[in-house]
Amino acid sequence: MLVLPLAIVWLAAVPLALLDGRRRWVGWLAVAALGAGFLAMLRLAVAVFARGPVELVAGGWPAEVGITLRADALGVTFAVLSIGVLLAALAYETLGGVHERALPALVLFLATGLTGLFLTGDAFNFYVFFEIAMTSSFVLAGYGRRTRELRAALIFTVVNLLGSTLFLSGIAALYHVTGTLDMRGIATWAGVADQNSVLLIATIIFVAFGIKVGLFPFHFWLPPVYRDTWPAVAAILSGALANIGSYGLIRFGADLLPRELRFAAPALLILGAASVLYGALQAVAVRTASEALAYSAISNAGYILIALGIGGPAGYAAAILFAVVNSLNKTVLFLAAGLRGWLVSAAFAIGAFSVAGVPPSAGFFGKAALFRGGIAPDDPALSVALVALLFVGGALAFVYMFQIYQRDFWEREGAGQTSGIGSRILVLGLAGLVVAFGVWPEPLLAVSQQAAGVLNGGRP
Amino acid sequence: MTVLLPLLLALGAAPVVLVAGVLGARPAAWASIVMAALACGATLWGRWAGGGALDVAWAPSWGLRLTFALDGLAVLYALLATGIGVAVLLYSARYLPLHLEHQGRPARDAIRFYALIVLFMGAMVGLVMAQDLLLIFVFWDLTAIASYYLIGYDRHKAESRAAALMALLVTGISAVLLLIGLLLLQALYGTFALPAIVERATPGPAQTLAAGLIAAGALVKSAQVPAHFWLPRAMAAPTPVSAYLHSAAMVAAGVFLLGRIYPLLRLSPFLLDLLLVVGLLSMIFGSVLALTRDVLKQILAYSTIAQYGYVVVMLSLGTSAGVVGAAFYVIAHALAKSALFLTAGTVTEVTGEDRLSRLGGQWRGLPVLAAASGVAAAGLGALPLTIGFFKDELFFKAALERGWPFAALATLGAALTLAYVWHFWSGIFLGPLRGEAGRPPLPLVAPIVALGLLVAVGGVAVAPAADLAEAAGRVAFADLQPVEPAYHLDARPENLLALATYALAATIIAARPRWFRLAAATARLGERVGPERWYAAGLVRLNRSSRALLALEVRDLRSRIATVLVPTAVLVAIGLWATPTEGAFRVGRITVTDLPTVLGLLLAAVGALVATVPRRPLTLILALSSVGYSLAAVFAFLGAPDVALVAVLIETILTLLFLGVLALFPAELLKDQAVGPAPRPSLRWRNVGVGLGAGAFAFAVGWATLSQPAAQESVAVQHIRLTPAAHAKDVVTAILADFRGLDTMGEITVIAIALLGIAALLGRRERPMASDERRATSDERASGEEKRRREGR
Repeated sequence: MLVLPLAIVWLAAVPLALLDGRRRWVGWLAVAALGAGFLAMLRLAVAVFARGPVELVAGGWPAEVGITLRADALGVTFAVLSIGVLLAALAYETLGGVHERALPALVLFLATGLTGLFLTGDAFNFYVFFEIAMTSSFVLAGYGRRTRELRAALIFTVVNLLGSTLFLSGIAALYHVTGTLDMRGIATWAGVADQNSVLLIATIIFVAFGIKVGLFPFHFWLPPVYRDTWPAVAAILSGALANIGSYGLIRFGADLLPRELRFAAPALLILGAASVLYGALQAVAVRTASEALAYSAISNAGYILIALGIGGPAGYAAAILFAVVNSLNKTVLFLAAGLRGWLVSAAFAIGAFSVAGVPPSAGFFGKAALFRGGIAPDDPALSVALVALLFVGGALAFVYMFQIYQRDFWEREGAGQTSGIGSRILVLGLAGLVVAFGVWPEPLLAVSQQAAGVLNGGRP
Repeated sequence: MTVLLPLLLALGAAPVVLVAGVLGARPAAWASIVMAALACGATLWGRWAGGGALDVAWAPSWGLRLTFALDGLAVLYALLATGIGVAVLLYSARYLPLHLEHQGRPARDAIRFYALIVLFMGAMVGLVMAQDLLLIFVFWDLTAIASYYLIGYDRHKAESRAAALMALLVTGISAVLLLIGLLLLQALYGTFALPAIVERATPGPAQTLAAGLIAAGALVKSAQVPAHFWLPRAMAAPTPVSAYLHSAAMVAAGVFLLGRIYPLLRLSPFLLDLLLVVGLLSMIFGSVLALTRDVLKQILAYSTIAQYGYVVVMLSLGTSAGVVGAAFYVIAHALAKSALFLTAGTVTEVTGEDRLSRLGGQWRGLPVLAAASGVAAAGLGALPLTIGFFKDELFFKAALERGWPFAALATLGAALTLAYVWHFWSGIFLGPLRGEAGRPPLPLVAPIVALGLLVAVGGVAVAPAADLAEAAGRVAFADLQPVEPAYHLDARPENLLALATYALAATIIAARPRWFRLAAATARLGERVGPERWYAAGLVRLNRSSRALLALEVRDLRSRIATVLVPTAVLVAIGLWATPTEGAFRVGRITVTDLPTVLGLLLAAVGALVATVPRRPLTLILALSSVGYSLAAVFAFLGAPDVALVAVLIETILTLLFLGVLALFPAELLKDQAVGPAPRPSLRWRNVGVGLGAGAFAFAVGWATLSQPAAQESVAVQHIRLTPAAHAKDVVTAILADFRGLDTMGEITVIAIALLGIAALLGRRERPMASDERRATSDERASGEEKRRREGR
């Protein structure tokens, strides 16, 4: 059961790479394969939430000798989310007409990488799947292949390769200090190793994931990439690929290196605050929706960091909840920003309200969880500062989302050609999901709490 | 059931209207009217049946419950929202087709309007019945969403868009204060259930802060000074929207919430005094500004600010008479104010004028309208024989309980109200005839007549309204002293104050030329330095600083890399500074046998340094490859010949690849690179700095790591032990092919993906061009943007 979702997408990706993805049936075949992978993933997630983590060692070797695959609540949450986003983006692109033969295969390879890295319990194996995911997205970023997309892809590739290098160095260093690649072993041994070296290693791993989520000041690659890539690709990058960053920060920080995370909490809060304010301020004056969304992504990455800095079960649950909600929001918004027509306007509005944290949308609960985390600390001065920061960040989100919404969808109402009904309904359906989670938040809240519970640093 | 029925009817109205909208705009209009009427009827029935409560689990993880109760407060506001809703929707059914026709918009646009109005109604009904704090907030913001779209209904007009944005920003952002207050209460008392919180609440700074934050959100929604400015702007909405939002719904939500959390507010006298000040300021400023306005709806908008100021004042008096009076005031005001708004709409519709200065003497052409709105105006001005008389009676009574200064202020406020109501009504209907009036269609008059009748009936039979208000007051004061508004023909203080009010109002009206300049100057001053200016300036400044900040974003690849490396170096430095380094860094012993290794490392270091010097690409490539070969040699000396072989192989391939790529470059480009103008010295120094920083942090991390012995026996030992079990001759094979075979498969996949990418790049020219058309518009926008930016730099 653990292997099935991974096997489906991996095995489907290989033959698809040989087919011409521009043909409609190939596109739908890829959607079907990804859908099957998604369902298998969902089944696994249900089992994990009902009965606890599922584990297996590749090749039947003893743990640590072979590679351990481990599906726990945190991993499957991010896996379901990311594969779902990929599925939506692929269906969107297939509906609109794929115009590059490799696209369906690349999306499936990306799904392979993401599934693997969320389900592995081995730090180096994590890196391998990370590389699969990154390499596919390097190619995907150039989708469209005009100068504009290629330039974005170059920036994306160069900066993120740097991040990958840092991450690989971090893994190698961890291996040296702990003598193991198994995540559980790392968590055990890093806790007793010398604080100085582990903190420095944690720092470069942090930077690697900070680049991935687009945290200030590692975000400079992000705006041109999100702005210039194809809408479906931007949705994939922000809704699925950025999850690597959030997941990595949570997994490596709160689960593997909780001591270092607690130690660095002040730095995380400061960096998070800088990111929140910087991204939100930048987003106010930009002129295109996709650029505003890019800066909004930087701002929202800051929130995740703040939640991690607050720490404790409540803080980690808030980080997970916010990461999930944010990924949904960005997917809806990036897909909607590429279309025209009134159903799209409604979808974009729902996304905008969700980013601003207005109920009934999933974003509201993300914001409420952050505020609850901000109120939680015993130190009233810290509490006041956090709440004030969240308030200001939220207020700026109102300004930038609705300025751009009014400009794109009210002022220019009816401008441009209305897009195909299929893609519009798909986007509206995704937006409906955002509303549904706002009306009935229990699944999100329960999942985030349970996922926070599996973390070493998240146990009450 | 008594709770569920009105709630479901109100919340289900919007979907029903949308479904009916499939048939056209008229069926949608009728559906909205029927649903509002049904919801109103269901609320009445629920009250008759004695109220009730509903409690269902919502999100157990956070302890959230869907708790609704039809208590006195809920009945009052739900009746207003649905009852006035019926009147407004009846009016809209005729008004909106005309409105759309004037603007040349399709009739189908009206469907959205009806759906939004009933959505608003549903949100209001949900809000007033909700007993769970988070649920209250959900409906609270739902009203903000509906009002945003209603205010911005004429979205082709810049004025409407700005007004909608302002309303959303002001009420939406202030609502976050409310949210913080709610969450603070939850943190304090461990529950979101309002009744439980009221039971557990004890006075204290945290409790005061929470209640104060909630009150702040409520005051902004009720358009109280200094956050009142969004309301006059919101008049950009079609008139029925103004009539609804600013009499019975949106603005009423604020004072409703104050009533709902009254038991918490009451714990802090300081908070009540603060509210009192805000209420008094709103009352006076709103009234004075209403007196100076010329545009009909603006008079009414400022009047709303002032009237809700009264309600806030009454609530903050802290007595049960004040609370009941406030509830009664809301009823009387809603009936009268909606009628007056609708009057303004009808007059503008039939004359085409929306300013007092261009209107007058309209009673001749519109006698019925003049009479009906006259009654409503009298109600707002608190003349006897209208329901309004009692609202002021209660107001005076509550003020007197607190002392004479408050009674004096109340009298002043009431007199100002009467004065501007007269200014409004007489300006339209009396005096010389100005403005051509056509015959108004019946639906544009009938709702006003109905509301006027209610105002008059309330002036004779006051008991039903008084009962409603008393029941609402019981939510705040369980031990309520009954108040019985009635006419008393004696010289009791309330009556004397009423007489004083009429006299003062007459004086104000008569002396208009004397004070008008002063009042107008005050209004202008308010416009120039008031909070609306802060809002506008704030928004402009925000956009400007955002643009300035955008200009600071780095835009070239080299800087994008530098901005990763330098902060990393800083973070690592902070990490070094923050952790104890004693014993963390060790230098091992170097013996003679280590010399070849040291030599190799030195060579690599020299190679890396040399690579920074040449500008000729060929030299650069050779310098870089020398680094790689030196490292391969180091591996060989360290006893890892297989790694060394792999390194040599990779280095050779890479060097050849680079050379091959160079061969494809145009010769001039390479030459330019080699002998062209040198980069600026500042850039050079920056590059050196970045390079040194990156090297330093990599060195620090590497040294810190290598100073540590492995914390346990490395897993490699087990790998070696288990190699025979993997049927392999050497451990590397066993690891690659068996222990970590999954990794190998993954890496092969990476290569496959890279090949796919290369194929895609090579196939670039064969790409079909049609694809570009789909994004042509957004593309043009972005490239125009790019161009502007380049010109700006």
